[in-house]
Amino acid sequence: MTLFDLAKKNIQGNFSNYLVYFVSMVFSIIIYFTFVSLQYNEKIQESILLSSTMNFLFMASSLLLLLFVAVFILYSNSFFTRNRKREVGLYSLLGLRKKTIGKMLFYENFLMGMLALVVGIIFGTLLSKLFTMILVKMMGSSAEIEFGISIGAVGQTVLVFLVIIIATSIQGYRLIYRFKLIELFHAEKKGEQTPKVSIASTVLGLLLLAVSYWLILRSFPEELTDGYIFVNYGIALVSMVIGTHLFFRSVVISLLKLYKRNKTRYYKGTNIIGTSQLLHRIQGNARTFTMIALLSAVTISLFGAAYSGYYGNEKNSFEMVPFSYSHQSKGNEFDAQIESLIQADKEHPIIAQVELPIVEVEGQLTFAFSYEANPMKLLPEKAYNEVVKALQKGDVVTLSEDEAIAIKPRLTEYNSSLFKGEQLHLTEEGHELTFVDLIEGSVLPFDYPDFYIVVSDEFFTKMANDIKPQLFKVYEVEGEKSTEVTSGKINKLVGKEDFQVYPSFYTEYKEGKEGNALTLFIFGFLGLVFLAATGSIIYFKQLTEANETKISYEILRKIGVNKKAIRKTIHMQTLFVFGLPLTIGIVHSSVILHFVSNFISDLIGANVIVPIVTAMAAFIAIYIGYYILTVNTYNKIANK
Amino acid sequence: MKHIVEARKIKKTYGARGNVFTALDEIDLTVRQGEFVGVMGPSGAGKSTLLNVLATIDEPTSGDISIDGFSILNMNEEQLSNFRRDKLGFIFQDYNLLDTLTVKENILLPLALAKIDVIKLEERVEAVAEKFGITAILDKYPYQISGGQKQRTAVSRAIVTKPSLLLADEPTGALDSKSATDLLESLKELSEQEQATILMVTHDAYAASYCGRVIFIKDGKLFTELVKGKTSRKEFFQKVLDVLSALGGGTNDII
Repeated sequence: MTLFDLAKKNIQGNFSNYLVYFVSMVFSIIIYFTFVSLQYNEKIQESILLSSTMNFLFMASSLLLLLFVAVFILYSNSFFTRNRKREVGLYSLLGLRKKTIGKMLFYENFLMGMLALVVGIIFGTLLSKLFTMILVKMMGSSAEIEFGISIGAVGQTVLVFLVIIIATSIQGYRLIYRFKLIELFHAEKKGEQTPKVSIASTVLGLLLLAVSYWLILRSFPEELTDGYIFVNYGIALVSMVIGTHLFFRSVVISLLKLYKRNKTRYYKGTNIIGTSQLLHRIQGNARTFTMIALLSAVTISLFGAAYSGYYGNEKNSFEMVPFSYSHQSKGNEFDAQIESLIQADKEHPIIAQVELPIVEVEGQLTFAFSYEANPMKLLPEKAYNEVVKALQKGDVVTLSEDEAIAIKPRLTEYNSSLFKGEQLHLTEEGHELTFVDLIEGSVLPFDYPDFYIVVSDEFFTKMANDIKPQLFKVYEVEGEKSTEVTSGKINKLVGKEDFQVYPSFYTEYKEGKEGNALTLFIFGFLGLVFLAATGSIIYFKQLTEANETKISYEILRKIGVNKKAIRKTIHMQTLFVFGLPLTIGIVHSSVILHFVSNFISDLIGANVIVPIVTAMAAFIAIYIGYYILTVNTYNKIANK
Repeated sequence: MKHIVEARKIKKTYGARGNVFTALDEIDLTVRQGEFVGVMGPSGAGKSTLLNVLATIDEPTSGDISIDGFSILNMNEEQLSNFRRDKLGFIFQDYNLLDTLTVKENILLPLALAKIDVIKLEERVEAVAEKFGITAILDKYPYQISGGQKQRTAVSRAIVTKPSLLLADEPTGALDSKSATDLLESLKELSEQEQATILMVTHDAYAASYCGRVIFIKDGKLFTELVKGKTSRKEFFQKVLDVLSALGGGTNDII
């Protein structure tokens, strides 16, 4: 029998042991391949070419994914070899030469890796089709996706995993050289010591977490510099990572020990078993818990933020482009051309059309206003009230001659108390106006600086005598979310000079939706990967533990613990193992999202609670699935 | 004296029709309160099966068993668990201590499971630990103590609930001779002074010589029975050896 045969037989004979490792390899390959195929997908290529942010996002994500996949495979590899040290020791004991064993392990791992690669790419092809369909659906287009294998994606995946597989195979080869024979036989004995914990590290752990939360949550300084961002959030990140680790390493142990102090509770039923088991395992699990808590935090934060963007897109588009179509008047002929274009679209009849005269002036405010105020755009009361009626949004205003109302500049967070009672001096004319309010409700598509002031009709007429007003025409049509054809034509006619955004609502809406969908999709995809991976890591860890503690449960059965009680303590322990990192992850991400939502909600003007809670709920739901699976398998192993 | 164990015609067969292996063949056994009974026999004679059946871990194919007046054959899973917890104590060859618990916690485990009041629980543990001389190691973990100490911990755990019947499966099997002698002395003392009822399965004639009565099993049937009576331990040891050589198969286990 050649060495190659022995390696092959090894796999066949010990299939269940290998299956776990094999499945995690296949899983990693599927994930990576799916993502890479998406990257090579034409539709997505277009978006990547269009936007540099999207390009960056994809690059960063695929790097992150690569890193993650590599770590995950290395992790499952070390997990796998840990379970096999005894077997390797036995070969050595039976007189096989180290070199032979090393080679055998190398072949074995290599063979499995190659098989996983083939299986992974086959499944990945099917899955990438599914994901592309989901993506297209989310973007709201109806394009047919062609089914095919992308050669580029296959090439990239094969290359990446070949490197990883060879690296792990070499690791396997070196296993026999890295350990003494005796160590190989005692591989599973590790981590059975009672954990010792110092008060200092417990306090430090809590302190670091508190500091990182404070750094993240405190409000911005007067002047926001790159240096501040780098130092402040850099320190916050580092102390969060270390704090989380110390939390699992020390704080949780201290808490469990505190729990043990209360003898009445501790010495009651199966509490004593569950608590002591957890206490013994936690130190060995601390690093995994830390990783899982942090990954969960990152995933929930990214997904929550991306989902907020997707969710808030519609509202955001309404704010950016309030009317279905808007343009600046450029002579009767041009205006008529546009109007007839809109009228020709019978599916989307005009609900309202308004003419908006705007006078641009220079002026000073009697208070400190950090926004770029000049030139400020004056708008007559009558026109504004027509807009209110046309959009059925906001309240009709009435002003006396020297009164004015400011419209809140978009993407800012000023409130009316800043303006009320303050004055505006118009430089050239020497007029003075008093602000009575600051209201929300922009009328024209966004164009910086976005500072509009509603004045009385009398005052506006006076101003218009000196400065010629610019005339804008706006239309509101029925079903503005589907005006693809007309919007295209209008965009072309109006061009890009009038506003910084599109002149038609549809295009702004559609483009935002596509961009947000893609972002959401990427984050959702990464989130799913992290979630599946962390869930699997806990699952595998618990199963190994189940096998190791099987004997303990047998003893318990013998001394009179019934199945129900054992089931209960298994439930409790598994709940702890799943719940703790998840809880920490959710608390972390709540802090991060609270911070993010500070400017996200300004940016998109949407309520972020709903999407964030949805993201968290989805996360928890999938975790519960893993939890139930783990408890059932654990029970099957340990509580027969 | 009260009968603690009363087993009538216990039969245990393994395997399907056509290929039946009889592990226990209509064995009758009676153990009175305060008796220290040894069970001997060659490998595969059915000693462990008998112990498992009495321990309610295994079910007999037919027959009738009552322990301390309770018929154990009609109980369901939960009742059996409670019965084991309250009425039976176990000592195993490989100690079966939980690695994650201290010596003290291991001993009090059955009491904790029975939800005994903490103050009473601590008292009981102290008393038992003192009797077996392990007070000093109560806060140690099993991997920190010797085999003899482990077995004494296991015995403490077994008797802390004051069980009606103490079942021991090769308790001296993994111990050195000094520790084994200590343990056997303590078991004997338990039965003599505290009227504890003990049933011990062993391969070892020396261990059996500490019992008040030894029953021998061969091929699932009762082979013979020896009662120590007034004889000295040494004479009884010799008698046991004689039976074993007649029985065959067990003699190579003499120390």
